[in-house]
Amino acid sequence: MRQNETKRRPGRVLGVLASISIVAGLYLAFQAPPDAYQGDVQRIMYLHIPSIMAAYVCYFIVFVGSCLYLWKREKRDDILAKSAAEVAVLFTALTIIEGSIWGKPTWGVWWTWDARLTFTAILLMIFVGYMMLRSLIEDEERAAAAGAVVAIIGALDIPLIHMSAYWWRTLHQPPSIMRPDKLPWETVKWPLLLPVIVNIVALVLLALYLLSLRFRLGETEERIKREMMEGTA
Amino acid sequence: MGAWGFVALAYGIVWAALLIYFFTLKNRLRKAEARLAQLQWLRSKESVGANAT
Repeated sequence: MRQNETKRRPGRVLGVLASISIVAGLYLAFQAPPDAYQGDVQRIMYLHIPSIMAAYVCYFIVFVGSCLYLWKREKRDDILAKSAAEVAVLFTALTIIEGSIWGKPTWGVWWTWDARLTFTAILLMIFVGYMMLRSLIEDEERAAAAGAVVAIIGALDIPLIHMSAYWWRTLHQPPSIMRPDKLPWETVKWPLLLPVIVNIVALVLLALYLLSLRFRLGETEERIKREMMEGTA
Repeated sequence: MGAWGFVALAYGIVWAALLIYFFTLKNRLRKAEARLAQLQWLRSKESVGANAT
């Protein structure tokens, strides 16, 4: 029992930190001045940028977990990759929805086949496919190995998403805060930059907290399977 | 729909989805932990029974 409590503590700390930063992020998002060109619609960016950052962090964890699984074949790495993929899919879907809602008043359309939008939609489809593939293969080890290969290939889409605004003529503007040539505060004024940073921290912490819960669920399900197998043996 | 309508729609959908996912996940976890505890209790009961015989 005490061992379980010790295991849960980092998750609880993450949950508390995420809650505090979410409240601070929401306050800053609505207290920030409206953008000179976009007006109040720009407040959607305080969700949109943090959501994709949270998704990227989760995809990185999927990538690392998948590589480790293929290398060491440890179930724990596979559970980590599978859990992170579920959270990453949620945040990617939310990013696309937020972008679409922002796009309507700004670009005049809910969706356009722009390079960055298309690559993000492809990323979402690859990882929805990853989850479907895993559920379709009955042999767990084969499902984990096939999933790991798909996840590694899928993660290669992320540099394409980031660089697409530079490599192709796109409607989506190039990054404002992650530019290779300038520091964030050189392109965005502090009253607009601070809410972005705080909301990135908030949603990344929330994603990690959700991941810790999903990972615990994965581990518990694995222990149930083991208990049942030992019970029937 | 005005600018604030789009902002409310975006924030509403995102936070509703995140809260639904959080509570669903908590519920799945609670059920799984209860099932595991039940299985462990049954196994310990069986082993006590086997030792007694």
